[in-house]
Amino acid sequence: MTLLDFARGPALEVAIAVFAFGVMWRLLSLLLLPWAHDRSRPRPDAPPAMIGAARGFIRHLWPPKPFVRSFLFATLNGYVFHVGLAVIVFGLAQHILFLHGLFGVAWPNLPSGVVAVVSVVTLASLIVALTRRLTSPVLRLISTFDDYFTWLVTVLPVVSGLVAVSHLWAPYETLLAVHILSVALLLIWFPFGKLMHAFLVFLTRSETGILYSRRGVEI
Amino acid sequence: MHADGDQFAAACTGLAQSVLREIAQHLATLAAKGETGVIDLRSLPMNQADRDELEEGLGRGDVEVTLNVAGMSEIWETRYSGVWWVRHFGADNQIAVERIEIAAVPEILMTHGADIAAAAARLRQDLADDSSTSKGEDAAHVRP
Amino acid sequence: MPRMSDRETIGDALARRGVSRRALLKYASYLASVMALPPTVSNAMAEALAKARRQSVIWLSFQECTGCTESLTRSFSPTIEDMIFNLISLDYHETLQAVSGRAAEEARLAAMEENKGKYVVVVDGSVSTKDGGVYSTSAGKTNLQVLTETAQHALALISVGTCAAFGGIPRAKPNPTGAMPVSDIVKDKPVINISGCPPIPEAMAGTIAYLVTFNKLPDLDHLNRPKAFFGDSIHDRCYRRPFYDKGLFAKRFDDEGARKGWCLYEVGCKGPVTYNACATLKWNGGVSFPIQSGHGCLGCSEPNFWDKGGFYNPLSTGTNIPAAIVGGAAAAGAAVGVTSALLARRRKRLAAQEPRS
Repeated sequence: MTLLDFARGPALEVAIAVFAFGVMWRLLSLLLLPWAHDRSRPRPDAPPAMIGAARGFIRHLWPPKPFVRSFLFATLNGYVFHVGLAVIVFGLAQHILFLHGLFGVAWPNLPSGVVAVVSVVTLASLIVALTRRLTSPVLRLISTFDDYFTWLVTVLPVVSGLVAVSHLWAPYETLLAVHILSVALLLIWFPFGKLMHAFLVFLTRSETGILYSRRGVEI
Repeated sequence: MHADGDQFAAACTGLAQSVLREIAQHLATLAAKGETGVIDLRSLPMNQADRDELEEGLGRGDVEVTLNVAGMSEIWETRYSGVWWVRHFGADNQIAVERIEIAAVPEILMTHGADIAAAAARLRQDLADDSSTSKGEDAAHVRP
Repeated sequence: MPRMSDRETIGDALARRGVSRRALLKYASYLASVMALPPTVSNAMAEALAKARRQSVIWLSFQECTGCTESLTRSFSPTIEDMIFNLISLDYHETLQAVSGRAAEEARLAAMEENKGKYVVVVDGSVSTKDGGVYSTSAGKTNLQVLTETAQHALALISVGTCAAFGGIPRAKPNPTGAMPVSDIVKDKPVINISGCPPIPEAMAGTIAYLVTFNKLPDLDHLNRPKAFFGDSIHDRCYRRPFYDKGLFAKRFDDEGARKGWCLYEVGCKGPVTYNACATLKWNGGVSFPIQSGHGCLGCSEPNFWDKGGFYNPLSTGTNIPAAIVGGAAAAGAAVGVTSALLARRRKRLAAQEPRS
């Protein structure tokens, strides 16, 4: 079995299975925990919980006014690589094919040149994010293994994808295998580290929104 | 019926010009030092338009040869003396080999020493056979 | 049958038939072009060929479809491509030879004896090894026996076609006959693999001619294939590459993209991971190749190409992600998650029941 056969076969199989297992475990073990109901009375013009949740989520998309100055860079850089990753994953024809193989849905692809440019920008943005984490004394103090390892498993698919599509340094079948294995690594790590924020961010920000909308804070 | 490079057939890539310059270099070397050169056109990523441009650029000169051995070949001297176009056909008249040879005459047109020796022996044999089998009718003028 | 060393030279044999040296010169220029050798070596090659003796070749056919022989012998009139048969003395070939039966086997053994250490063995078809190799026999002998005994005093072996080179279709799952490539069985002689299903005729003829002319093996890659023919991938030389680079793909065989000749990646083309000369030498004397005819590359010159997850499955998909496994994993995760939550609730309930201290 060649490296590429392994990557497209058992490696992806195991990675997707671990991903499914891990995500179900974490989500259910969280959502089925006993709920601490808020026994206080909501303020008079409090909106229904769902509206409060939606409002809260949208509000958190941008830092509050007093904090804009200090968080502007982190917020913008974060959006750059999040949007970039989305464009790459959902815009490149080869990725759409992969998702189509899994879920049966497809959509028109972006020109490969556009995705290549976006990939380079995304990579730069990720490197900048790491640099900031390493140079800021506060961030350095509070950063854990999770932060650094998650960065690594996120950057590896971007780098290996760019190298593969540029056909650099090794035969293409090896480059493609390495890229697919890096995605497998990301999928396996996903449920156990901070990448779970992809699911949890919707819950946490909505919960905060509900809380604030019930109580005295006008947001 | 297939779209094989139809969109590429129209566009010249400029490769013909680059090959012409290489031919010019070889021709200068031939003139100065007598050293021959060969360019294998098949090894270059030329499309039909490039090949047509090159053929037009070089043109045809005094000599055109049809060669019939192990298949058909067309060889001609171009407008530039010393620059020869050699085209060998394979099965179904597909071009099997295409070379530009920069020489006084391409090697393949020269008759090989071994062939001459073999032919001399054969002619001698044929004449000997003729004189022994013919009852002297039209062999009278031939000295045995 | 005369020994190789007693035979007349190739040059003399041609002269005897009234074919001039020009035939060799033409053929040498064809070989140089096809094997990407410098064009100026054709003169020296022609001289070497003229002086060489016809190479004794014993062609063994095992679990094969005869496609490789067909590929090599396609021609309607004596052409430049037929010249290969002037360079070799095909002392044994089951499909092409006139004799059959015991006389044929005796011919093979005689050729082996007279040219000991100097004959080249060409093999097409893979070798059955299960249960002692009884699934493919000839004249009562298994392929395995014939191969081992013929290879013993051979100069070199050439495995022609993906079956002989890598196992091919007989080796596809579940490989009922225990099919094995030649190189897994013969370990003490040089084996050149000319893979492809079938291989390009120029690759077969060119390699044999190279052996005869230069008396050495051509440069081989990590799978023992001549780099002259297998050095580049189809993708690297494909004329549809600009469409791949731009992201213009045919999505089905009859859509607009297909009609415009766009890249066939989405309909399963394995060009990026397949090494062969199809995109440059093409087939039938340079007429076309699968991609030019609108079908993706099958990867037929690579090992195990039958079992790589399907010809129409694009390279960027997984080959085996059964819904059952993923569903099962999700269900297992759900079970663990529910259990964990229930345990947490139980802990909370018990903590609430404890008397406050």
